[in-house]
Amino acid sequence: MTKQRGSAYPIVFLTLVVLLSVVSLTLIDATTHEKILAAQEAEVQEMLAALFPTLETYQFEETSGLYTILAEGAVIGQARMLQAGGYGGAIDILVGLQPDGKLRGIRIISQQETPGLGAKISEPTFLDQFVGLSASEVELSKDGGAIDAITGATISSRAVADEVRDAIRDSFQEGGDD
Amino acid sequence: MKSLIKALTNGILRANPTFILLLGLCPTLAVSTSIDNAFGMTGSVLFVLLAANVIVSLLRRWIPDRARIPTFIVIIATLVTIVDLALKAYVPALSKSLGMYVPLIVVNCIILGRAEAFASKNNVAHSIADAVGMSVGFGVAILLISFVRQVLGSGKLELFNVSVFSIPGLDSNPAAIFLLPMGAFFVIGVLLALFRWVGVSECE
Repeated sequence: MTKQRGSAYPIVFLTLVVLLSVVSLTLIDATTHEKILAAQEAEVQEMLAALFPTLETYQFEETSGLYTILAEGAVIGQARMLQAGGYGGAIDILVGLQPDGKLRGIRIISQQETPGLGAKISEPTFLDQFVGLSASEVELSKDGGAIDAITGATISSRAVADEVRDAIRDSFQEGGDD
Repeated sequence: MKSLIKALTNGILRANPTFILLLGLCPTLAVSTSIDNAFGMTGSVLFVLLAANVIVSLLRRWIPDRARIPTFIVIIATLVTIVDLALKAYVPALSKSLGMYVPLIVVNCIILGRAEAFASKNNVAHSIADAVGMSVGFGVAILLISFVRQVLGSGKLELFNVSVFSIPGLDSNPAAIFLLPMGAFFVIGVLLALFRWVGVSECE
């Protein structure tokens, strides 16, 4: 780094480095893009299959964000992604509904709730309570619903319940009772 | 040869990036909630640090003094993006749990620090030794921290979904505070004190 060079040299050098960087990133992106999409697709498929074990295929409608679940040519349910505002950040939820408007079940896709407290929203003891409920029942028991909040994590529990209830009412109106 | 070994061992004890230099603590504290994460982070840091040191060392005669930091950053950012995309494509589960901390390797001071302090002044062989030593030092540190945090915070040790052991009593009622940010500070504080106490931290 001791040689004398023109004052434009740093600019030329940095431009070259950036160009090389762009070329290599374009190449990497081209080779990984398909695999990343496939991995995301497989993840969604796996989660939908957890809610609908008989799932054969599903259709995704981009504008409404609705997954239509098909088995043996018939619609066996619908699913959609939700985002609730939890205690530690956003909670991503997958909600599955049966054609009769009742909850098939829910899964937590990602959350940053407190370990040992709010993070228990991902555990079956909490999630299983949602199975088979209709919109009006999806409420914490202290608010008159059928969901027992996790001890010490009322905010996380309520965030999930509220978001799920609203989603049933909004997007599957035949399932709501108001 | 002797200087190569010195460059290699430097990062493990005498200039351990986490316990002695106290560099790159943010990702260390944030992802050390499980040993799996610690392994993933160590692997990512090893790749980025190794590649960054080699490239910087190769280019050291041509990197203009005045533009050296932007050059390092571009090189490191490119490498980190490669790691990020590769993890997403080939190990999506790990990529999910490391979350935003892989992109944050860009600003991990260990990597920029070694580019500036070592690779830009030394040949490729020494830079490789330095990168390996520093990564091992980082790995040992983050594995130690995450071991304590995972065992105390969940009451059991699980490696890649295989249960190794669990502590009766603690596994049903774990000290979850160790999985929280404040637990990370407790653990690193105690470990730093230990390192100082056994006398390895005679900083130059």
